[in-house]
Amino acid sequence: MASIMRPSVLRQACQVPVTSQRMLSTLSRTSIKSSSPLSQHLRPSLVRTALPKSTRIAAFHATQRKQILPALPQTVEGTANDPTPVPEPEPVHGSYHWSFERIVSAGLIPLTVAPFAAGSLNPVTDSILCALLVIHSHIGFEACIIDYFPKRRIPTVQKASMWALRIGTLTLGVALYSFETNDVGITEAVTRLWHA
Amino acid sequence: MAATRTLARLATRRIAARPASVFTRSFASVSDTHARDPLSKAAEKIDPKVITKPIPESQTSTIKEPEPGKDAKIKTFHIYRWNPDEPSSKPKMQTYTLDLNKTGPMMLDALIRIKNEVDPTLTFRRSCREGICGSCAMNIDGVNTLACLCRIPTETTKESRIYPLPHMYVVKDLVPDMTNFYKQYRSVKPYLQRETASPDGREFRQSKEDRRKLDGLYECILCACCSTSCPSYWWNQEEYLGPAVLLQSYRWIADSRDEKKPERLDALNNSMSLYRCHTILNCSRTCPKGLNPALAIAEIKKSMAFT
Amino acid sequence: MASQRIFQLGLQRAAAPSFATLRPAGRMVQRRFAATQKVTDTEAHAILAKQRIQRPVSPHLAIYKPQITWIPSMFNRITGVMLSGGLYLFGFAYLAAPTFGWHLETPSLVAAVASWPVAVKLLAKATVAFPFFMHSINGLRHLAWDVGIGFTNKTVMQTGWAMIGLTVATSLYYTLLV
Repeated sequence: MASIMRPSVLRQACQVPVTSQRMLSTLSRTSIKSSSPLSQHLRPSLVRTALPKSTRIAAFHATQRKQILPALPQTVEGTANDPTPVPEPEPVHGSYHWSFERIVSAGLIPLTVAPFAAGSLNPVTDSILCALLVIHSHIGFEACIIDYFPKRRIPTVQKASMWALRIGTLTLGVALYSFETNDVGITEAVTRLWHA
Repeated sequence: MAATRTLARLATRRIAARPASVFTRSFASVSDTHARDPLSKAAEKIDPKVITKPIPESQTSTIKEPEPGKDAKIKTFHIYRWNPDEPSSKPKMQTYTLDLNKTGPMMLDALIRIKNEVDPTLTFRRSCREGICGSCAMNIDGVNTLACLCRIPTETTKESRIYPLPHMYVVKDLVPDMTNFYKQYRSVKPYLQRETASPDGREFRQSKEDRRKLDGLYECILCACCSTSCPSYWWNQEEYLGPAVLLQSYRWIADSRDEKKPERLDALNNSMSLYRCHTILNCSRTCPKGLNPALAIAEIKKSMAFT
Repeated sequence: MASQRIFQLGLQRAAAPSFATLRPAGRMVQRRFAATQKVTDTEAHAILAKQRIQRPVSPHLAIYKPQITWIPSMFNRITGVMLSGGLYLFGFAYLAAPTFGWHLETPSLVAAVASWPVAVKLLAKATVAFPFFMHSINGLRHLAWDVGIGFTNKTVMQTGWAMIGLTVATSLYYTLLV
């Protein structure tokens, strides 16, 4: 608690107008001056020497927050007149992927509604539903990984999480296969659990 | 004649700088404690790129309306400030109060009035003041828009907050660095690409229907409001092109005179350039010109689907 | 043109004929204290690169106004991750069950759930139902957008709120009544 309070108290003390030679870019008006009339009379150098440097830095860092993967410092490749590089066409990760994703998503609608609406149990539709769920989940997680673990920032993390996802999806596939073959099937299981 | 005009201009009082004010110049922002440190030393102390959250206005000074009128309608503006001359200092929210009776109706009027009468260090881009240049794009009360097209809400109890365009590198105060945005625009080859000459050697003509396809696309002024409202663009600015550039790309894809449509589509056919769009629709919601970048992107996706 | 200007000027001076207003041009021009120096292109670029490194990133997620566009989109992803994550975890547990001696077969699960108090059952149902219906109904909107329907701001807002209403209604129905 004290460590939180101390910098904020000191920050008040630090708020002294600094009239620096290289900052001659502003007109000082009465309105600006009146915002802190007392500090106008203090000589900034006096106040600054009275404070040890370390406390001023502490005050500075006290409000800082750790962020998850903050943006890197800005760098620009080439001049402002060069276009950003255009990647090679990869339909497998582009248009084919997108179309496939839409087909899977659209296919999920009837497969989700039908078993519960009809109340019938068809092992074939049930296993198709499972397969589509696995694919849909995999694509969804993949999108999250691409979005939040950018390749150019953390390539190893992205690669590792991609492989983890692939292994996870395979495991899930095996698990659902055994669930479908040994157990009652996913729609029936959900129905029974829901009415339990 | 020109010479006389120059002379006349020099002799008029309008531009004469008041000598007194030259000597009363000083530094307006009062909360910076590192202004005197040498730059090299200041840069070591803090990692400036880690900061996106500015110092809240409760910890900075308030600059008041210079001459409030009799029944003044005092409105408070919190404006994002960051000065590149003090690279070690955190960005902060500076509070200004203005009498709305003396201020024009638009946010840009307020900014210009602050700059003219209260604090000349406030920095922002502006040019046409009528929503055709796209310079004054900024985040006002949480929404990206053009300051010149955004009315100041008249209820004075609500405080307005003005930030630069979100998730952009800040050059100074409200001025973001648009280099990457323009470089991306350049990468979609925003010009007519055509090999064959027109049959009669005159201009390339379009049918009315073909021309109509460009309505809602050609009006884009590239203010970057939409791109910087897109969370996908925030996270993957380097590779995802963003709504504005994709709308521009579609403007040329949809153009009946352009002959490089397959090449244009191929340039977008990868996982990053186009398909980071997750139809969040912030772009269409925020466009100050009332265009629909999300629809343009959907049309691109549709034209590429199943091919 | 010029004559007109000079005439105006003359009028101005006639109106205020004091010498104070007639300062010579040289003294009226604002003086700059900063010294300028020539830099080469590479030097200028180096200065720019150094400035760029120090630039902060403007605030984004924390300051953007919560709108019916991006907040549901965010929840769409969160709910998707919740549901799929649950599925993945169940799959892993189901495969690991024989090794650890857990009983994750449907009858034993049903028996376990049946023994829960009603409040816990309702809570469990709600935690599944809300994400499921939100993700499913929002998925329908997404499929409509993918074929190019419903892109006007008005429609987006209407379908957005309709989605929320439907989600709440169906989730509550399936939580409480089924």
